[in-house]
Amino acid sequence: MSDPTATQDLIKGADEPAASPVAVRNGQRGLWSDTWDILKRRKIFWISLVMLIVFLLMAAFPSLFTHKDPEYATLAKSMELPSADAWFGYDLQGRDVYARAVYGARTSIIVGVLATLATVILGGLTGVLAAYFGRWLDAVISRVGEMFLGLPYVLGAIIILGTVAPAQSNPGKATIMAVVIIVLALLGWPILMRIARSAVIQAKHQDYVQAARALGAGPLRIIFKHLLPNSLAPILVYSTITIGSYIGAEATLSLLGIGLRSPVISWGIAIADHASYIRTAPHAMFFPAGFLSLCVLTFVMLGEAVRDALDPKLR
Amino acid sequence: MTEVLSEQMGSGSHAGALLEVDNLHVEFRTRAGVAKAVNGVTYSVDAGETLAVLGESGSGKSVTAQTIMGILDMPPGKIAGGEIRFRGVDLLKLPEDQRRKIRGEGISMVFQDALSALNPVFPVGWQIAEMFRMHRGTSRGEAKKKAIELMDRVRIPAAKERVNDFPHQFSGGMRQRIMIAMAIALDPEILIADEPTTALDVTVQAQIMGLLAELQRDSNMGLILITHDLGVVADVADKIAVMYGGRIVENAPVYDLYKNPAHPYSKGLLESIPRVDHKGHELYAIKGLPPNLLEMPTGCAFHPRCPYRRDNCVTDAPPLYTISGTRGSACHYWREVIDDGEH
Amino acid sequence: MGRYAIRRLLQLVPVVLGTTFIINYMVWQLPGDPFAGRCGQRPCPDAYVTAMREQFGLDQPLLVQYGNFLKNLVTGNLGVDFNSVSVASLLGDAWPITIRLALMAVIFEAVIGIGAGVLSGLKRGGFIDNVVTISTLFLLSLPIFVTGYLLQWLLGVQLGIITPTVTDEATVPELIVPALVLASLNMAFTARLTRTSIVENLRSDYVRTAVAKGLSNRRVVAIHLLRNSLIPVLTFLGTEVGSLMSGAIITEGIFNIHGIGGLLWRAILDQDYTVVVPVATLLVLVYLLANLLVDLLYGVLDPRIRYE
Repeated sequence: MSDPTATQDLIKGADEPAASPVAVRNGQRGLWSDTWDILKRRKIFWISLVMLIVFLLMAAFPSLFTHKDPEYATLAKSMELPSADAWFGYDLQGRDVYARAVYGARTSIIVGVLATLATVILGGLTGVLAAYFGRWLDAVISRVGEMFLGLPYVLGAIIILGTVAPAQSNPGKATIMAVVIIVLALLGWPILMRIARSAVIQAKHQDYVQAARALGAGPLRIIFKHLLPNSLAPILVYSTITIGSYIGAEATLSLLGIGLRSPVISWGIAIADHASYIRTAPHAMFFPAGFLSLCVLTFVMLGEAVRDALDPKLR
Repeated sequence: MTEVLSEQMGSGSHAGALLEVDNLHVEFRTRAGVAKAVNGVTYSVDAGETLAVLGESGSGKSVTAQTIMGILDMPPGKIAGGEIRFRGVDLLKLPEDQRRKIRGEGISMVFQDALSALNPVFPVGWQIAEMFRMHRGTSRGEAKKKAIELMDRVRIPAAKERVNDFPHQFSGGMRQRIMIAMAIALDPEILIADEPTTALDVTVQAQIMGLLAELQRDSNMGLILITHDLGVVADVADKIAVMYGGRIVENAPVYDLYKNPAHPYSKGLLESIPRVDHKGHELYAIKGLPPNLLEMPTGCAFHPRCPYRRDNCVTDAPPLYTISGTRGSACHYWREVIDDGEH
Repeated sequence: MGRYAIRRLLQLVPVVLGTTFIINYMVWQLPGDPFAGRCGQRPCPDAYVTAMREQFGLDQPLLVQYGNFLKNLVTGNLGVDFNSVSVASLLGDAWPITIRLALMAVIFEAVIGIGAGVLSGLKRGGFIDNVVTISTLFLLSLPIFVTGYLLQWLLGVQLGIITPTVTDEATVPELIVPALVLASLNMAFTARLTRTSIVENLRSDYVRTAVAKGLSNRRVVAIHLLRNSLIPVLTFLGTEVGSLMSGAIITEGIFNIHGIGGLLWRAILDQDYTVVVPVATLLVLVYLLANLLVDLLYGVLDPRIRYE
């Protein structure tokens, strides 16, 4: 703190001369083209985009990444360490860890994306309705949201899933995925509701919305034409990051034995299956955990890049 | 003043005025290019004197003031040249710790928006008392007593009861008084007021200007009054420096400028003040926009908006022509401008 | 202030009722047999199920059940688990350990998170800022159990610095690594929030005023800047104390800590709902009360907030 530049950092500068010429020039262009201009200059955006494409390809065409069958088990090779033959080694059942990690991408990403989609629809809809109609509807929706927020995430998921699909039960593949998706959305919607609600409340008082209403535009038209586009930017940022955290949450639930379970192939299940063998076969757990973390990182980075571009004042 | 400072700047031992800004250049580096905010500004203030610096936003008047205070944001700001002499010593060459001691003690500043300039989470009395505690090592109790005295001096009613109130609990005018109390706490020799009344109601504006003028008279401070409003300065200023595009385009004793401006820009400013005797006439407005600091016009920066423009205005930047000992104008055709005024 | 506190407390009542109702409803009423697995792999005999339903009052109407639950909660009767051990005594054993763990985690969050955030915010774009930005990005992307297993394996199994699991006493030194794991996510959030807040406040007018007053750099930062910047950070930390407790479920499971989270973890795996419901209720109450306290604290920290 002894160098003089630190003081200068502390001081708000003369703003107008530096800012105004630039602002004037950009003033005419839209939010999205501005955002794109900033985005395309950011390294973090390109890195996360490449990673995203890799993961999406992995989810869509796992055979591009491995020729091995993720189900093929050679018990003799159980928990064999990584070798030239199998880069990531073999798991408890003697299956190829790498192949299973590759095939696990699909489940995790489907759950993450669909749960986010459900959250956005549920939260966005309730948020817009609460903000637009206000009064008692707003009060009811806000209170119900508070009740769900009052349920800490892990706890809420444990309670619901622990009952609907207890650890020892064995529901079908599609059923359990659907249940996990619904649970994630059910616990996550209030945050999105709040984001949408405050964005719409802000927009609602803008002159142009008032004008549209005065000109006789109906509520549906106002909501879809004028209000929803306004809440799009914050919702987009939040949901990108949410995909990442839902993928992590899905794995956490699988770890607890109440999320996805065999025969579904997912990172969370691979981690859960080998958590007790961490001393003898750490590879069987840490490689899927690595895939999982990288995938979450991809969505978090992407979301942050977009947010920074939409709100550049904080950089 | 601390000993170090009084040694270095024995008062009265230098020839010039108390504070002299000499050919100051300040730039801002932005992504879009270098913005030249201040281009060779020169002005001076002596004890007991009031200088009004007049200009639109972006004219460089505030940047100059911030450079004097040493609170310019660097980067993006950069001092590209010039000197700022306080009692003959160039502030820009002083090390930071000595510079810091001059802030508040020697030169102090009142900002435009007192609500954001005062710290929202500390009581106003505490914020005034901090000056005494940090600069003079005064005890808490003693400093608080002095803070109340100061609040009395700037005429805050019931100062004793309000000393523990927070900034948001005061009205705009009262807040600005607290800002002023804080600035004059240590009897500075120079007070810079940066648009001190812009955020206030018209009636309150006059009170604040009156207070500033009174305080200045009482303690013989040099006052630099930065404003974009010619109407505000007429009663209090001794001299005026009009800035445009980061330069001084005219400086003059206040009476001379009001009577007969010597630069087309000052003339335009004067004519755009609504006046009772001009009732029925259309209100005058200077045409065009302030210059883009990233792409300054060639020659005279004012030429795109100037009714006196000739060809050489586009190519040759006018120097500050001397009109008389105390007057100057940066216009090739200042004679014409003055002549137009005398009819 | 006092009236505001009472009003907020009253507003809390419907939320508490609603949340506890949701818990009760979900555990007991959703499709799925709450007593499945009580009798090994085979379904339970009907007689057993009927007896159990009667014992836990499931044969009564929903609202009556809920009323009984509330009555028991208020009178402090938390019931017994399926093995007839008093839930209150289970909680009494587990509670102090979780409190210790959560407190340590909060301290780590505050000290490391705020420290890193302040350093990186003051020197935006500098080396420390880049290190903090990148490392918080990774922390935010690592699910807590990955961090937990990784540290357990690295420090416990490979390097032998810690014992991989915590003993029944759960002493403070033993809890250091689990607390760091529990804190990791919020630590990263705290660091980022602090940085954002510092950066925003650095540009504020009052900081410029403080410099113009001739205050030393240290005083400008430590008194004027920090006091304002930390208001949202402390609020965040307070709000998260409650969710930290339930976040302890994973951490306590990994390190085999016998706290509330561990209790809940085992109860869920054993499908012992008579333990799940009171423990979950307790965690929710702590969470909501922590939020209320933070709300009130906010007014103390920021004089601009007025309570009507």
